[in-house]
Amino acid sequence: MKRLLYILSIVIIPQFIVYMVITRTDNQCVINKEGPTELKVENYTRKADRINIMVADHSKFEILQQEFERPQDVTLACLSCHTERHHELMANNHWTWERSEKLAGRDSIVSLGKKNIINNFCIGINGSEKTCVRCHIGYGWGDKEFDFTKKENIDCLVCHDQSGLYKKGKGVSGMPVEGLNYNIISQSVGSPKRENCGICHYWGGGGNNVKHGDLDKAMNSCSKDVDVHMAIEGEDMSCIACHTTENHVIKGKLYALSSEDKNRATCEQCHTDKPHNDKVLNNHGDRIACQTCHIPEYAKANSTKMVWDWSTAGRLNDDGSQIHESDADGNHNYLSIKGTFVYNDHVKPEYMWFNGLADHVLITDSITSIPIQMNTLMGSYDDKGENCESTSCSKIWPVKVHRGKQPWDPILRKLVQPKLWSKNKGDSAYWVDFDWSNSITAGMKYTDLPYSGEYDFVETEMYWPLNHQVSTAAKALQCTDCHTSSEDGRLAELKGFYLPGRDHYDFIEYIGILLVLLTAAGVIIHGGIRIVLRKNCLHSKEE
Amino acid sequence: MKVYIYKGFERFWHWTQVTLIVMLALTGFEIHGFYELFGYREAVMIHDRTAWGFLALIIFAIFWHFTTGEWRQYIPTIKLVKEQAQYYITGIFKGAEHPTNKLVYNKFNPLQRLIYLGLKILVIPVMVLSGFAYMYLIYPNETFVLGSLGPVAAVHTLGAFFLIVFIIAHVYLTTTGHKPLSSIQAMITGWEEMSEQEAKEMVKSEMEYSLKVAKYNLITNKDRSAFLDEALMETEAKLGVKCNNKLHDVISNSGAGYFRIGMDGTYQEVNESWVSLYKYESIDEIIGKNYSLSRSKDSFAQLQETFNKVLKGETVEHGLVIRHCKDGSIGYHTLTMTPFTKDNKIVGVEGIIINIDRDNATKLQWDNENNK
Repeated sequence: MKRLLYILSIVIIPQFIVYMVITRTDNQCVINKEGPTELKVENYTRKADRINIMVADHSKFEILQQEFERPQDVTLACLSCHTERHHELMANNHWTWERSEKLAGRDSIVSLGKKNIINNFCIGINGSEKTCVRCHIGYGWGDKEFDFTKKENIDCLVCHDQSGLYKKGKGVSGMPVEGLNYNIISQSVGSPKRENCGICHYWGGGGNNVKHGDLDKAMNSCSKDVDVHMAIEGEDMSCIACHTTENHVIKGKLYALSSEDKNRATCEQCHTDKPHNDKVLNNHGDRIACQTCHIPEYAKANSTKMVWDWSTAGRLNDDGSQIHESDADGNHNYLSIKGTFVYNDHVKPEYMWFNGLADHVLITDSITSIPIQMNTLMGSYDDKGENCESTSCSKIWPVKVHRGKQPWDPILRKLVQPKLWSKNKGDSAYWVDFDWSNSITAGMKYTDLPYSGEYDFVETEMYWPLNHQVSTAAKALQCTDCHTSSEDGRLAELKGFYLPGRDHYDFIEYIGILLVLLTAAGVIIHGGIRIVLRKNCLHSKEE
Repeated sequence: MKVYIYKGFERFWHWTQVTLIVMLALTGFEIHGFYELFGYREAVMIHDRTAWGFLALIIFAIFWHFTTGEWRQYIPTIKLVKEQAQYYITGIFKGAEHPTNKLVYNKFNPLQRLIYLGLKILVIPVMVLSGFAYMYLIYPNETFVLGSLGPVAAVHTLGAFFLIVFIIAHVYLTTTGHKPLSSIQAMITGWEEMSEQEAKEMVKSEMEYSLKVAKYNLITNKDRSAFLDEALMETEAKLGVKCNNKLHDVISNSGAGYFRIGMDGTYQEVNESWVSLYKYESIDEIIGKNYSLSRSKDSFAQLQETFNKVLKGETVEHGLVIRHCKDGSIGYHTLTMTPFTKDNKIVGVEGIIINIDRDNATKLQWDNENNK
């Protein structure tokens, strides 16, 4: 008996040991699926620990109790106490709408911004400033003559109003609407809240969530299903909790406009670069942006624009009135002034290698390949960076790709700037006159650039790396969302490197499976012959 | 007849390895995308940990192989490879005998030697190294980074297929022993069932081997007197045979001389090796003679003393002695004497002598004196 136990133990003990080795520790992840446990963060004050003390009651300041005739007078009143702040603002690209950028892959440094960039939404502001500058933090930018040095033209209120009453007008060069009570508005001022940032950053491109796909008015008051950080029942974070701001220098820029990898707002600034307890997951962070797993989809509350085809614009009703068509969800899918759109919600991002550097197509650039990449995101699997501890190492990023079809000059092979907006008919503005030739001629003349006189429509793509609408950990991508050979795999399209679970080498597969099958067949045949012969032997012996 | 083949550690090692490799294969091919079993994340974690476990086991096994000398089992040989292959291709169907015997110091047939050696020095190291590369050399903040995971993954996958092929063939070939299950049984209990013939051969060659080891130790080790005891113990341990009672069987044809002397001091039995060491013509010539003829007059007293001690129940390892041969010449051997019992009563002594050639004897003598 004792001997039997000893003998069996030699076979059974290994199974125990292996079992112990395999299940050594099981609390690998800080956040388990049952619910979030305490998440490690740094450089961040939790909601429970936040202290909201009003440091100054602006309603007690006499200067804000005066009768304001113009919004500029409010600005001057602000600057009478907050002296010198205008210098900070005037250096801010919310004011300049341009900044020095070194474009990836080019030697020269260009001045680039909303002032002169071409995109594949409303194309560009030139010639249409009066309406576009509704999102400029200034008053009166109606044409090229705007004085960027005049401090009274700074619009403090659009960012700092906390009354919710302040509103800029349409087509009035960034001026507010008529009839505002500046006393209530100016006395309400405080740090910008989501609503302040959102009025432009949600509504860019002419509608809510049109451009970004991950910035939506719903995020003013949302649940964790939309954004785990901004959720009211969660940490209820404001924009500036991550886009930290000191002296009006705001952290974070978007690759729709910027090109360089500096002054970024990152996940790591609070979560560190080793946020998981699982080493394998942390290692993934070397080649995969946090956003890739943690933003499994975007446009979670409202749709975002995926396609904009300008070439169909200009169709009018028989009576000459404009056409407005909507899809089943109530999103526009045709407008006479803009053409055809495709909206989508709960969109799965596309994935790209990205090293933090981008190029941009300038209006002066000759086009070499179509579809035109409006803002090429640089990077590849092989780009591991010279210094891999910096962000210059390419990582897989989730990207919203906005596909467009917009006017260009097929003779000069350059993108063009049409004049879109005017208050009056006959001013060559496309949105009024519906004449591409005239509007492009006017727009190119306004920007002092050559135009062959011929236009056509060209396919374009614009890339929006995603950062917002972060999901709860439970909804983050799981291993087999990427590590799968299925065509639905998240990285099915991102070729050029070996991904375990997705990729195979056919010849190894064939050799391996063939060897296994041959061996199995050999065993069956050999064993079969042995069994048959043994039976025969027994028979002959019995006889 | 059953013979003890696989030692405790060896069996522990084998079965642990079985479990580890099965787990590695199950999780590995899941990670490879062949099926879903544990869940990908779980599979990766199990694969990683199992790999570490496997590495630890490999280190233990290497240590064991070298400290026990078992590594010699894997020295490749081309002797009988053809016969062994021939056996599997045709002989096995005709019920032919195995061309190679399963011996303790040679428990693998030539094909096994080649395959296991290949596993140990090629497949397993390649799997371990490519596994490490897979785990560590693909992240850009490491000092050394692979250009691509592709080649590593290819090698690792191919190795995995080879191991699967090995497992299939290996499991099948366990059925080709004495009886279909005797090999598996041996790996569980340590005892393998063999034919009478095989077992006899084994005992013989094992004794020869143990004596060789003992002789080797005699020349190199400081503790020389226990060499035969060691050989006996080793044989006992390896074969699970109690050598004392069957000393005669064990020793026959082993090259060691065996003798039994009755209470009256006369030889009752000697083996052929003894006869030839003492240069007699036949066994009959010596049976019934007094044991005094085996020594010169000077050293007989010493032997007598030893003889009396053994009769009282002691086992005496005598070390080097000089024997007196029939033709008057002398020879050197080591001597071990143990009581010979019948019905729990000592009725004589029996012993083993192992010849030592003149040079070694001189060296031994010289060493002995120097040590004193």
